[in-house]
Amino acid sequence: MSTNTEPANGSRVHAGKTLADSLPPSDEEILRVEDLTVEFPTDDGIVHAVRGVDYSVREREVLGIVGESGSGKSVSSMAIMGLLPGNARVHGSIRYRGTDLLRMREKEHRSLRGDKIAMIFQDPMTSLNPVQTIGDQLAEAVLSHHLVSRKQALARAKEMLDLVGIPRPEARLKSYPHEFSGGMRQRVMIAMAIINDPDLIIADEPTTALDVTVQAQILEKLLEVKDEVNAAILMITHDLGVIAGMAHRVLVMYAGRPVEIGNVDVVFNQPRMPYMAGLLGSLPHLDATEHERLRPIVGTPPSLINVPPGCPFSPRCPLADDSACVTTEPELAPVDADEHYAACHHWSRLAQVDDPTAYFRAESERSR
Amino acid sequence: MRRTRTKPAQAPSGTDAVQGMGVRTRTQGELVFRRFVRHKGAVAGMIGLGAIVLLAVTSIGAGPIPGWWPKDFSSTGTIVDSGKPTLSLLPGFLGGSGMQMGEHPFGQDNVGRDYFALTMRGTQVSLVIAFIVGIVSTFVGTLIGAVAGYFRGKSEAALMRLTDLVITIPTLLFAGLVAVMAGDRGIVVLGLVLGLVTWTPTARLIRGEVLSIREKEFVIAARSFGTSARRIIVKHILPNTVGIIIVSVTLAIATAIILESALSFLGLGVQPPDTSLGRIIHDYQNALTVRPWLFYWPGFFIIGIVLSVNFIGDGLRDAFDPRQNRVRD
Amino acid sequence: MLAFIARRLFVSVLVFLAATAVVFVMAANVGDPLAEARQLPPGPAQESAMAEITERMKLDEPVFVRYFHWLGSALTGDLGVNVTGRSINAMLENAVGSTLQLVLAATVLSIVIGITIGVISALRQYSGLDLSVTFAAFLFYSLPLFWVATLLKQFVAIDLNNWLADPELALWVIGLIALFVALFCAALVVGDRRSRVTTFVVAFVAMCALLWALSETGWFADPGLGIFVIALTAVAGAIGFTTLFSGLDWHSPPMRAAMAAAIAGIASALLLDPVLRDPNLATIALLAVITAGVCFAIGWLLGGELYRRSAVQSAMFTGLFTGAVIFTDRLLQSFASYSDLKGGRPVSTIGSGTPNFQGTFWQSGLDSLGHLALPTLALMLISLATYTRYTRASMLEVMNQDYVRTARAKGLPERAVVTRHSLRNGLIPITTLTAYDIGTVMGGAVVTETVFGWRAMGRLLLDGINQGDPMPIMAFFLVAGGAIVVFNMIADIAYGFLDPRIRLS
Ligand SMILES: Nc1ncnc2c1ncn2[C@@H]1O[C@H](COP(=O)(O)OP(=O)(O)OP(=O)(O)O)[C@@H](O)[C@H]1O
Ligand code: SF4
Ligand SMILES: [Mg+2]
Repeated sequence: MSTNTEPANGSRVHAGKTLADSLPPSDEEILRVEDLTVEFPTDDGIVHAVRGVDYSVREREVLGIVGESGSGKSVSSMAIMGLLPGNARVHGSIRYRGTDLLRMREKEHRSLRGDKIAMIFQDPMTSLNPVQTIGDQLAEAVLSHHLVSRKQALARAKEMLDLVGIPRPEARLKSYPHEFSGGMRQRVMIAMAIINDPDLIIADEPTTALDVTVQAQILEKLLEVKDEVNAAILMITHDLGVIAGMAHRVLVMYAGRPVEIGNVDVVFNQPRMPYMAGLLGSLPHLDATEHERLRPIVGTPPSLINVPPGCPFSPRCPLADDSACVTTEPELAPVDADEHYAACHHWSRLAQVDDPTAYFRAESERSR
Repeated sequence: MRRTRTKPAQAPSGTDAVQGMGVRTRTQGELVFRRFVRHKGAVAGMIGLGAIVLLAVTSIGAGPIPGWWPKDFSSTGTIVDSGKPTLSLLPGFLGGSGMQMGEHPFGQDNVGRDYFALTMRGTQVSLVIAFIVGIVSTFVGTLIGAVAGYFRGKSEAALMRLTDLVITIPTLLFAGLVAVMAGDRGIVVLGLVLGLVTWTPTARLIRGEVLSIREKEFVIAARSFGTSARRIIVKHILPNTVGIIIVSVTLAIATAIILESALSFLGLGVQPPDTSLGRIIHDYQNALTVRPWLFYWPGFFIIGIVLSVNFIGDGLRDAFDPRQNRVRD
Repeated sequence: MLAFIARRLFVSVLVFLAATAVVFVMAANVGDPLAEARQLPPGPAQESAMAEITERMKLDEPVFVRYFHWLGSALTGDLGVNVTGRSINAMLENAVGSTLQLVLAATVLSIVIGITIGVISALRQYSGLDLSVTFAAFLFYSLPLFWVATLLKQFVAIDLNNWLADPELALWVIGLIALFVALFCAALVVGDRRSRVTTFVVAFVAMCALLWALSETGWFADPGLGIFVIALTAVAGAIGFTTLFSGLDWHSPPMRAAMAAAIAGIASALLLDPVLRDPNLATIALLAVITAGVCFAIGWLLGGELYRRSAVQSAMFTGLFTGAVIFTDRLLQSFASYSDLKGGRPVSTIGSGTPNFQGTFWQSGLDSLGHLALPTLALMLISLATYTRYTRASMLEVMNQDYVRTARAKGLPERAVVTRHSLRNGLIPITTLTAYDIGTVMGGAVVTETVFGWRAMGRLLLDGINQGDPMPIMAFFLVAGGAIVVFNMIADIAYGFLDPRIRLS
């Protein structure tokens, strides 16, 4: 999906748990990703899917990751899980509590997967095995990391179903996935993710396939279980509203690279990378006049096979110049606010205006 | 499936579909062709089948048109070198007798007939029958499958019961009975009747496809405008099943060659004076230990044709349905 | 579920009835049953012959009357008489056994081997092994059965018998077989180039040495395994099955249970020697049941609460496998004496058994095998190719499913991901394929039997067609069509049990 179609649910008011109610992050760093690159050799050439990503998350922190389709969000998180296809070439380091996952033996990595690091996928309709009962699938997650009897594992499964809000959990253990609705299935996926008390939950667009009303419930549930098990969450989404509602910090990705990272309110109010400014500009404002329309970012991201020199956003950027922007790719560097980094030669120009998204208004109107 | 989209509108097609790969949009036909020629097996199959057809047609000619091979498949002659094949593919400098066809490339039978001419004749007949069967069975199967898939309810039930009935009768039994009843009315009639008993796989395939297409938006829209069923089937549904239909033709042809040769081998298929690849082996089955070439040559041609056609079918399936490795049922 | 089965049964019976009518009408018109009588010199002899046949076959009545007559007596179990007045029931009784043996052997073998190869091929997609398997499947699939059968009968069988008269392997043959085996082993290994090359070299050398030793010691003329090889195979089986089901761990309860089962098997091979000299089928079946029971108990006791399931699984597989090895050993040991009985030509090309064969249980077993081997091999090639291709495609499709990714994300070992998730789902559609395939195999059996000169169902059908006689044709159809109907039913019901999504509707 492209970036220009996000609905304005940033201001959605959650009835239940909100980020403000949930426990604050601690100082303990759970995961640190450094200079992560992922390449796929294909028939057409090498796809540079992820080109140097750095970030870290702390206990109980929610880090949102946004970015256009194909910007490498899923690939970088699958690298953490160690579930990339065999032909993928992964470099850099991914430190989980200090140990580098990329230098671990597969067996050790597997013992973390599903135990300390868990993942929730996008489509709950297809993510559960259709021929196994819910109970068996949940119990399997326990049994593959703990030496307990099947009975104990099922008891744990029941407890988790109860926790994620599935009524009559005892009976539901014997149900098959097709007897559940989409929202219920995603709850089961959440139950499966937290059943072993993980330190880190990666949620890759966990609500995209769901009904709007169900979305909110699922997100609340995620915030709730985060505090229950003291986990950090990597929240991948296209929905800036979700980021605003439940992330502490946000990482913006473009063409396989991080282009902006910082606290959510800082980044949302003072974007320092034109792409992020454009994303925000495409959200309708609450105070918008009737005539104001959504302002899409025109154009497409560059090919990941022959990544051109210069800033990958330059063909679409209203601030682009003919020198630095087309010759040197900007590094992620600190900008005006604390803990706020952006990759743009001209971030200061965005800092000079009141409303950085205005650049995009001009741009899209000019091109019309 | 219940997948509610939370994004209010699809992105304008340009930005969404291309994903920065800078691909020119190609027509469906171009894409299919490109995928087909990339399939090595399919290309090899095309070349193989083309070569066999060309050889069979030009060598002994067809009907009144003479071919380049001087000998006739029915006239007997003196047996040279106990009828051994004279074809040699090993060039002289490798110790062979040079690349040459010789007097009787495929050898001679026990009364001195030229076996190359006879094999070519058999190949022609087998191919003709197979193509007729391919077309007839695909036509019948498509018709039954499309009607059964489109009109649910009574006619579907009736047609599916009919299909079940035909499936209950082993193909060899059914085909054997109709072939014997067709008797010596010639190879065209034989092809027709065999086509009438081998359409069930096609019918099932087409029905499954039509069942899914009829639920697509454009068909529902056409129906809501009151478009007639015939028009919807012909204008909307069949064009979207072209891929499957073409693949079915290849499958049916491959099946037909195997079936016809098996029937003829049992003496139930092609009747003299006609001959076919299976019939030739039937006719000589008592001479095989003495003259093994009478056994090998027709067999090689059957295998060559069927293998080529199967490879072509596989290539077509991949080309029309790029979803890899899908299970067909 | 019961209602579903009942409705399915009802419809199948109706369809089958309709099919008998269709087949009968065609069979009644397929030829002229009086043709032979017409050949007689004209006169009273000819007239009475014709009258007799007309009377016997009710040729002066309309076809549908004859059909209902046939149906009426068929329902009481009487299938009528053929054109010469012989009882069809008697003919069928002799024929049906050998045909079903052939069909079942070919079907079971192609399912087992085809699924195994298909799964391995899918797990090693795009490897050398996968490409060869795919090509071989295409080739087999394109082979005309009658041609392969004739090839095996006229050329292979003779060569094989000649070779068995003085079974020594030439060096180049040893090299070639070893090369194939080594290539296969190397293709199975996961990992980098070096480990594959090592595997190849080790397998090649080991295979060459083994074959050479076997050939030099005249093993092929008088084969057998001996208790040492049996023990070795049983232990290897124990390790293999346990690794497959629950991972390689020497001290785990499943491994202990499997080892115990293997040891019990080896011990019984020694203790049961008097029983195994010349048993009968019932004894063998009883032994198999006892083995299963004992191994279940071993697994149950050694598994403890935490490992009960996998321990029982490992122990039972190991126990039955060991039993099969012991069985094979006995067969092989009887080979030399059987070969002598057959005048040194143990591979038969005519008929489904040596007429009036007298011998021990093992020798009769070898006699059946010697007659079945080549026809089964011919008949199974096409089905084998079908099952391989289908399994491969189905597995590849399943392996890309989201729920398999979920299973990996849970931290399951790859072995468990494959066996518990990919395999279970990938094999469900195969049930449908069996139902389709059985009709083809039935038709194939007719061809195979004809080539190998069996007097079985195929003969019945062809005689019926050639003499214009509907009764034997109908007998053939009752068996073949009945098999198709039954297989379809079983497939439907099995599908319903295996896939919970079907149960609702
Ligand atoms: N196995 C693979 N082989 C080749 N290229 C791949 C493979 N997997 C992913 N890619 C490519 O890597 C790039 C990044 O993909 P990724 O799935 O991470 O995007 P994403 O940011 O998650 O997008 P979306 O929002 O659509 O989920 C894409 O261009 C994709 O085509
Ligand atoms: S570096 Fe230049 S092209 Fe890139 S985002 Fe900044 S201004 Fe635009
Ligand atoms: Mg993604």
